Amino acid sequence: MEYENRPPPEGINVSDQHPLVDFFWMLAAVALVATVLVVALSLGAGWLARQIPMAQENRWSDAYLAQRPVELSETALRKQRWLQDLADRLSPAMDLGPDTTIHVRYVEDDEVINAFATLGGNIVIYSGLLNSLDTENALAMVMAHEIAHIKHRDPITALGRGAAVALGLSAISGVSDSAMAQRIVGNVGMLTGLSFSRGQENAADQQAIEAMLAHYGHLNGAATLFEKLQAMGSGLMPEILATHPLTEKRIDRLARATDAQSDGEITALPDWLSTGY
Amino acid sequence: MDILILLGLLTTGYVFGRIAEKRHFISIRAREEEYRDVLAFSARFPPPSAAPMTPVLVGGNVVVAVDYFKMTAAALRNLIGGRVTSFETLVERARREAILRMKQEARAHGATQIFNVKLETSSIGQGASGQSFSVEVYAYGTALLAGKAD
Repeated sequence: MEYENRPPPEGINVSDQHPLVDFFWMLAAVALVATVLVVALSLGAGWLARQIPMAQENRWSDAYLAQRPVELSETALRKQRWLQDLADRLSPAMDLGPDTTIHVRYVEDDEVINAFATLGGNIVIYSGLLNSLDTENALAMVMAHEIAHIKHRDPITALGRGAAVALGLSAISGVSDSAMAQRIVGNVGMLTGLSFSRGQENAADQQAIEAMLAHYGHLNGAATLFEKLQAMGSGLMPEILATHPLTEKRIDRLARATDAQSDGEITALPDWLSTGY
Repeated sequence: MDILILLGLLTTGYVFGRIAEKRHFISIRAREEEYRDVLAFSARFPPPSAAPMTPVLVGGNVVVAVDYFKMTAAALRNLIGGRVTSFETLVERARREAILRMKQEARAHGATQIFNVKLETSSIGQGASGQSFSVEVYAYGTALLAGKAD
């Protein structure tokens, strides 16, 4: 008997589908599902977090702060008291909730040009920010922006969202048993989360503009900080990757609001408060 | 930054993996033609009518690495379901290459027939989150040499 081994036929085990086409379809499907999941979790968890009474949030932040006493020098205390006074002057125009009180915390770190709002009505302001401003109006704009975050309950919302989204994403990427899928899903979650926080920033800007108008009667000088930040080049990130709306856009928005109310006296900062720009 | 590293790894994996796969398939087809006279059978024994012969164990072993692109495509496929085409080509290459190496050994012995051919597959190297980095295929069988051993 004659035997032979024929060459194996091609195209049965190896499909002629282009690997890149296949890859992008899968990527699109996974990204879509992850986006829907993150949006649903963020909305749900954010809503739940805002149901936590402000009084409860205050108890948490008091307990946290009690464990970490901060020693401030005499001059720093004086600056903190001045900042607190500014916040107290702005707050009445912002219609805060019943249990909401603003506590300004001054931190001496000249490298950090930043301010942020956190749980329990606390606003942290770095000396780096103070030193890069030269008018009270610009500082008040920042302060009003942070007070607006607290009025909108943004810190606790971000906390609730962060926890829910992290848990949800690790649950779906955990079952896929691969570091790769976790990274892809994680990146989708990050981008969606950033777009939420961009919305919060815009709302806080809007609220701050209203408070500035109510308190000073004009917006002159309010955009100084953003102009300086832009000059320093922090607005270079593509919008989808940035938490804060591009400074150029913010200046535009402020400029539009300012057009009608640009005439007004700029209040200078006291000499001892800031080293100036 | 994270995304850039990811894209870099994916591009490297895709470009080099694709070139390696193309070349490998061309080489496999050429050598399959070259070794066509060495016959491989899954039957355990030669036909009873065959003349007495000497059996020799022959085997061929191959390990193919999974590139980053294939690994990612498979991870995405795991979430969706369906044919993991990126791994199908990989295992196909490994199987055919292992059989070729087995035939090469048989020819070195001067044999033209291998009976009882079997294939073993395993994955080598479990990563941090359980992904395997390469696939091993081992083909082995009994080559028959003409003439009875003393």
